[in-house]
Amino acid sequence: MAVKSNSRNKPGTATGMTRRTVLKGVGLAAVAAPPLLSRVARAADAPGATSVDQPISGSITITLNINDKDHQVAVEPRTTLLSALRDRLDPPITGPKLVCNANTCGACTVIANGRNIYGCSVLAVDMIGKKITTVEGIGTPENLSPVQAAFVEKDAMMCGFCTDGFVTSTTAFLKKNPNPTLDELKQGLKGNFCRCGTYPRIFEAALAAAKVLKASGK
Amino acid sequence: MATKTIKVPKMLNGAPTGEVDTIQVEDYGVATWGPKTKHRLLNTHLPRVDAPNKTTGTAIYTHDVKVPGMLHGRLVTSIHAHARITSIDISAAQKIPGVKAVLPIVAAGGEVIYEGQAVAAVAATTPEIALDGARAIVVKYQVLPHVVTVDDALKPGAPTVGRGPGRGGNGQGNQQQVEAAVAACDAVVEAEYRTPILHHCCLETHAVVADFRGGPNATVYVSTQATFGIPGDAQRELGVPVTGVVTHMGGGFGSKGGGIGVVGQWACRLAKQLNTPVKMVNTRREEFLMTGNGPGSLHKFKAGANKNGTLVAISTIQYGMGGIGNGGIAAQPYSYVAQNVFRQSTSVNTHEDSSVPMRAPGHPQACFAMESLMDELAYKIGMDPVEFRKKNLPNNANGTAWHRQLDAGAKAIGWANRNATPGGGAGPLKRGMGCAIGSWGGGGRAQCVVDVKISQDGSVLVTSGSQDLGTGTRTYVRAIVAEELGLDMTAVVEKIGSTAYGNAGGSGGSTTTASLAPAVKDAAYNARIALAKLVAPLLGAASADEVWFDKGQAMGNGKSIPWKQACAAVPAAGLSARGQFVGALSGNGAHGASFAEVEVDTDTGHVRVTKMCHVQDGGLIMNRLTAESQINGGMIQSLGMALFEGRVMDPALGIMLNPAFNDYKLPGAMEMPELIPIIDDGDERNVVIGIAEPANIPGCGAVANAVFNACGVRVRETPITPDKILNGLIELRRAKA
Repeated sequence: MAVKSNSRNKPGTATGMTRRTVLKGVGLAAVAAPPLLSRVARAADAPGATSVDQPISGSITITLNINDKDHQVAVEPRTTLLSALRDRLDPPITGPKLVCNANTCGACTVIANGRNIYGCSVLAVDMIGKKITTVEGIGTPENLSPVQAAFVEKDAMMCGFCTDGFVTSTTAFLKKNPNPTLDELKQGLKGNFCRCGTYPRIFEAALAAAKVLKASGK
Repeated sequence: MATKTIKVPKMLNGAPTGEVDTIQVEDYGVATWGPKTKHRLLNTHLPRVDAPNKTTGTAIYTHDVKVPGMLHGRLVTSIHAHARITSIDISAAQKIPGVKAVLPIVAAGGEVIYEGQAVAAVAATTPEIALDGARAIVVKYQVLPHVVTVDDALKPGAPTVGRGPGRGGNGQGNQQQVEAAVAACDAVVEAEYRTPILHHCCLETHAVVADFRGGPNATVYVSTQATFGIPGDAQRELGVPVTGVVTHMGGGFGSKGGGIGVVGQWACRLAKQLNTPVKMVNTRREEFLMTGNGPGSLHKFKAGANKNGTLVAISTIQYGMGGIGNGGIAAQPYSYVAQNVFRQSTSVNTHEDSSVPMRAPGHPQACFAMESLMDELAYKIGMDPVEFRKKNLPNNANGTAWHRQLDAGAKAIGWANRNATPGGGAGPLKRGMGCAIGSWGGGGRAQCVVDVKISQDGSVLVTSGSQDLGTGTRTYVRAIVAEELGLDMTAVVEKIGSTAYGNAGGSGGSTTTASLAPAVKDAAYNARIALAKLVAPLLGAASADEVWFDKGQAMGNGKSIPWKQACAAVPAAGLSARGQFVGALSGNGAHGASFAEVEVDTDTGHVRVTKMCHVQDGGLIMNRLTAESQINGGMIQSLGMALFEGRVMDPALGIMLNPAFNDYKLPGAMEMPELIPIIDDGDERNVVIGIAEPANIPGCGAVANAVFNACGVRVRETPITPDKILNGLIELRRAKA
């Protein structure tokens, strides 16, 4: 179902998303509709499960590919990707932040197989076999990506807690739309919130980064 | 003596000729800012030094801290606004594998007085098991009568909340006399204005990691506005010396003003019981319900003005709604002068969590009401709203600032082109403009100790225990030192956010920069003088007075050597210099003016802010780039207050209906207007003042006034939602019929 674009459209009201909370707390084994479960586990104690093809419960060690590296991580079926990154991995990956845990604010944005998604709204076990990129994989302080460098130059941050999510969303967005108008950019970034009020400079940074990326032929 | 002569090598095409040249430099014999326009680093646009970390996931916040063996804490909170707890059964929770401790917070028989009040705490090995533990705790409530709206709380016989009926102020002034003066005026406005409870919505919820392992000390990480508020509270719980740490924090806006909070208290108690580190993080729902709110307000005004534009008389009865807290609202007539004033202020308590400071506490509410009133009077006497405001400003430095800022803002928004008749035009889209002014104290106090260390290898380190809320503290701390020592930003390292470093005050009242910057300057100055003494012999200069540092060089006596080489004169242990507050470098009194242009869709009632500007003074601005970002932030929060935000309570059930971002609406990307932040360079004061809060005050009033100019509907209750516009338009049509 298409989502109407007008000035009052808010993220989180988009239809067609299966709420994670439906599965959470119920346990995958109790969910009756097989078509929903495209992935189930092999034996629950098989270390480093790289795919899932039977109902699972309790703790399971899975393999997640994050920033071009395979990580073994122990999770429950209800563990979100975000929680797997932040609470289960050692050392943790903390760029994606826990802010609303309810599919509204975008601070947990990661890129999965090229698509920017909310890490709080997908299960870790559903991310097996996907290529996941977090903000740490986009650049480092010593080697900033064009988007990150533009954010630094334009002061597109204040407290910084939304910034990783915005950098990630902007990076994915510019890959899909390398030449956006301001309105297209606002549409593309409306899934990310900021309270300090950095939106105008985020827009400036994104448009500046788009120019740099175009010039460098990326 | 300000200007002195330094002998430097004479240069030709970048090479020394062997001869001696002289330069004039300014040195005041004491830490001083120097002329405002002559700064190399301060008062320019400096990129944030922590920006590379904040954009790459390498800035560590309390939420991100992980220490060995760390457990996850979770609260259980009251589901009722007012109840007695008849029993708490923790036995099922204790049996869950992975649950390590369960602590009741309110004992059986105890009273809870707001939805969200903490009643029990759990620590477990994973966040999921902590949630299971919390769910397994069985709390039985005996529900008691509640009040959660101001109208219900003011009814005779309303249930008593907490300490009893709200604290009332006795009126100031003679109510009868003032109301008589109002009645005699050419134009009279009698109106009620309301604002709801607002939420800070810090992206990083309140969080604490109590890293205590049963040993002789502990480190406690808190998402806080006050590094030095950590040890006192934490030590009380843990019984050992505590180092408080806040390296980065994800927003405060007043809600994280001091101490370690409820999450901190219970993270520490769990850690103490288990001799194991515990991390406790408020959920977003808890953040809305239990971490403190920005109070709502109700203003009953009677005011009169004369055709010549004089605000003659104003009677204001004001209520602050701060849950179980104080809910203080700024006094009226806010920025203006009136000949006859009666004011009375009462705090009304309800069964909701306590108000806490929220970005200019009490000011945005009072300003919205007063600026709406001023606008109503201006339109009634047929005077330009800007001119009417100017006629009633105080005849002092504050008034002067506002005159200047009203002019600058009017120019930036294109005030001369505004809609001539409110509601005029064919529609359905109608544009209009509005304005408002505000002020704040700010100012610094003697509370900071700053240390600068110069090492033999030329490295420079400045340390302060201060926190950085995203205000840019780190950047100006570094810049002040780099500028004083003639170095680039990359040649200085700053470390902040730990009680291991020098004392600093908490961030509140927009006092941090005005308190800390002078102390940094003092430390940097002391470091320069001490280094000059050591370097003089290297240059063959007769005294430290003949030595100068600039462009990464030490120069004097006709010689110039690179900084690193000069630092060979520093002893192996390094050169340490300390700085403290210098009153002469700080000041108070900030003023601002906001202008807004809106477009109202008179078919749907939607209001869209198309353009917004805010003019802000602040004395000497440390960093124009970050100051502009603060001003943008203030405008955006004001926009949110005007159009979207507000706690919604169910009066019958006593519960909050929108404790989540899907229904507590924050302004987002789609709502962004063209934003014009303007630093008021007409302010000649050469002292540091502080701007974070004043930037947040007048925007809401400006938007509300713009709405009236656009469509002729005066909405007196925020948020200005489409239903209010449509109802207002219906009333206008009825009145015409």
